[in-house]
Amino acid sequence: MTLPPTDDQPQRSERDETFATTALPHLSTIVRVATALTGNAADTEDLVQETFLRAYRHWHTFQPGSDCKSWLATICRHTFAELRRRANRSIAVDDQELESLATARLHNTARAKGVDDMFARLDLGPAIATAIRALEPHYRDVVLLVDVDGFSYEEVASSLDIPVGTVRSRLYRARRQLQEALLDFAVDAGFAAASYTLPPDHHPGERRNA
Amino acid sequence: MPDRAECEAVVRQLWPFVDGIVSESQREFIVRHLEQCAPCADHFDFARSFLEAVAEAKPYFDVDAGLSDRVMAALGQEGFGGGGGGAS
Repeated sequence: MTLPPTDDQPQRSERDETFATTALPHLSTIVRVATALTGNAADTEDLVQETFLRAYRHWHTFQPGSDCKSWLATICRHTFAELRRRANRSIAVDDQELESLATARLHNTARAKGVDDMFARLDLGPAIATAIRALEPHYRDVVLLVDVDGFSYEEVASSLDIPVGTVRSRLYRARRQLQEALLDFAVDAGFAAASYTLPPDHHPGERRNA
Repeated sequence: MPDRAECEAVVRQLWPFVDGIVSESQREFIVRHLEQCAPCADHFDFARSFLEAVAEAKPYFDVDAGLSDRVMAALGQEGFGGGGGGAS
């Protein structure tokens, strides 16, 4: 005598059965699709795994009799796009933090060269304009729209049809390139204060105005 | 007293902080740090001075008068400002 099935057992086993016979035979095809998308074995494995997990979770949406291979390939492509967007976001955040650190380093260099007060001391308008015009167009556009015209990140993202994270990355990269150009300009133009010899090292804990 | 690790964490947020896009808790943390750490505060002042200088360079990017006139003339022909191509 067998135990009577619980309410969901027959449904689950039927689901598993159809998934096993309909979806899983396409595994090797999906591996090829994933390989084509990612280009490397490690990411392929993750993508294939995630594709089949999602397919299983949403198996109830699959129309019996329709093309399961195409259905899986679509999930695979969407999953890859989503994973890539996430990865781009984390890279963008890292970029932004690294650009912030780069600005601090450039400030140290400017201090060592005696031009760390160049923005307050010198009229850099023409030099800034020249440096901005020399930027690559995708950096120049963002720095002009945000830092010169005062648009928000979101407004620029919408105007240029790029993600907000891309706006930030381009902006911070552009700012660093501008600072480097202006530092070179100030030094080359002989604006360094000869007696300015503060050490470039950072001293945490030192009180301001102490 | 802030240590180097805290300084680095704060400086990593330099641009987001200066642009006003950090969370409130991050902002409070950074402000507290800057009150106690002159070198970090100097980095942030340097960044702000840079942005002020860039914003002040705006006149160098005004469109040339010829283009402005041509746009206005074209608008005038479309009826802008009374029409008749008399836009100034």
